Amino acid sequence: MSTIIACFKWVVDEAYIRRNSSGSLDFSSVDFKISEYDRNAIEEAVRLRDDHGGTVIAMTVGTPEAAKGVKDALSRGADQACFIADEAFSDLEPSLTAAFMAEVIRGRFADYSLILCGEGSGDLYAQQVGPALAEYLEIPCVSYVQKVSLRGEVLVAERRVEEGIEVVEARLPALVTVCPDVNVPRIPGVRDTLGASKKPVMTLGRADLVFSGGPFLRTVSLTAAPMDRSCERFPADSTGIRSFVDALQKKGVIP
Amino acid sequence: MNFNITEEQELIRNNMREFAAKHVEPLAAEIDENSRHPAELFQKLAEGDWMGIPIPEEYGGAGADYLTHIIAVEELSRSCASTGFTLSIHVGIASMLVLLFGTEEQKKQYLAPMARGENLGAFVLTEPGAGTDIMAATTTAQADGEHYILNGTKIFISNGPTAGTYLVFGWTDKSAGRRGMSAFIIPRDTPGMTPGRHFQKMGLRSSQTSEVVFKDCRVPRENLLGAEGAGMTMAMTGFDHGRIGIAAQCVGIIQAALDESLRYSKERVQFGSPISRQQAISFMMADMATELSAARFLTRHAAWLKDQGLPFSKEAAMAKLYSSEAAMRQTVKAVQIQGGYGYCKGAKVERLMRDAKITEIYEGTSEAQRMVISANILR
Repeated sequence: MSTIIACFKWVVDEAYIRRNSSGSLDFSSVDFKISEYDRNAIEEAVRLRDDHGGTVIAMTVGTPEAAKGVKDALSRGADQACFIADEAFSDLEPSLTAAFMAEVIRGRFADYSLILCGEGSGDLYAQQVGPALAEYLEIPCVSYVQKVSLRGEVLVAERRVEEGIEVVEARLPALVTVCPDVNVPRIPGVRDTLGASKKPVMTLGRADLVFSGGPFLRTVSLTAAPMDRSCERFPADSTGIRSFVDALQKKGVIP
Repeated sequence: MNFNITEEQELIRNNMREFAAKHVEPLAAEIDENSRHPAELFQKLAEGDWMGIPIPEEYGGAGADYLTHIIAVEELSRSCASTGFTLSIHVGIASMLVLLFGTEEQKKQYLAPMARGENLGAFVLTEPGAGTDIMAATTTAQADGEHYILNGTKIFISNGPTAGTYLVFGWTDKSAGRRGMSAFIIPRDTPGMTPGRHFQKMGLRSSQTSEVVFKDCRVPRENLLGAEGAGMTMAMTGFDHGRIGIAAQCVGIIQAALDESLRYSKERVQFGSPISRQQAISFMMADMATELSAARFLTRHAAWLKDQGLPFSKEAAMAKLYSSEAAMRQTVKAVQIQGGYGYCKGAKVERLMRDAKITEIYEGTSEAQRMVISANILR
């Protein structure tokens, strides 16, 4: 096994988002974290490396503030990191994230054999970066994966699909997007965190990239989803229960 | 002036937060109820290098600074004050004293296993007649050739029933006054040293507390910690370190009280709206948040001074005094906010209030802290 690339996104920890009275979102006191499913991707990369050898490179595209996320990813067992950072990279749309990563991977990590991504990010959950990146690199993409194994130069992946589990094979190099049940990500120990600073990080900026495409999407507004509750009370007697059932039927909750 | 913790400290705090939510919070009520030492939890803490954060790597620790340890104790105590305390006394007093005063041999033999979390440390000083008044201690350590023979009874020894490494204080020369007390490292199962039965306490119930009785306990000379007669000075140094740990434990308790109060007051409806909209309740939480910040800054400042190699005895006492009294005040308020529900078993605030009380008593009572602080400012 040569190089395994684990992609991750440094996202807002949703627990810290506040809603202003106007319905707008307040991000002033938010904390950040590695997107949940991306932790699974890193964990899986590290597990595969431990079983088959090779090197795990944790890769992210983001603003310079995501440096903490790079350290976090390294504390989770990645050997090196590649940090594609620019002030302009906040709220980057998936097509651009994928394009930048594809360019860097092609140019600097061409010997990779496997790329792992989380199924979707914790903030937007667009599920685009993985498949788009595979498309740019012209390699197979296997999504919704809950189990990964390697047989020589062949990837064997179990995909969770509606009707059951589909087992697929793909020749390496390939890209896999993982579901949360693929593994239980570790909680890094103190030494893991302290050791992360000593691992090599390749930092690239916008100026290092030649890709010249622009965004296809424009965010018009961002507001909290209203969840109005009608809060009706029904007494706990037979009449009350009957009117409760009527009310549920009227709202179409039950047939 | 920089109030930020480092990126590493922040990540370590987040990791402990996740560890505590996953492994500690689900156990906390049960180990309190059954007054049980969660050995399985300490095994996990050891695996994550949490048992020796400020101990250098060459002695089995993680090689971080003291503030990092303090931040971990705070986060751990937020889920379970007993577990936070057990870690605090193991690292802050037992391990730190061997690190600061032990010989190279002692560090290898006793500190490294403690820092790796293979056994717990205990600080064996208090006696039935000697609490704040340490000079009233009666345990003796009589020199006898290449040995010392210890006799006496110690009480309220945290980790007493569970420790593997005991730091024991006794008089080698009572007539020498403060310079007559010495300290010894005594491993568990040394003949003549008998840890007693675990006391049932009001709070902090999963932390194990017992008597430790010495009857003609022979300890080889190489187990003397530091110089003969330096026991009192080392005990004070141990307290200085340990107090920052207790202060951090209190910060964790206050944070938990605030977390619980915010959650409950937004859910609990009285007079047609959540009680958080009542000024009487929201002002209680405003005070809670304010005292939480004050306690946290005092605590981290004391740890920071220690890491800078600056004097921190007074600041450690201040942090411990303020944080413990704030923890008591604010857990009483947290129970008040939850009313009858908060008074019942199963409510986290009920446990927090019981756990908070001991923090005003052990590792120096509030009165003892005021003695330290006043002695410092009146010099």
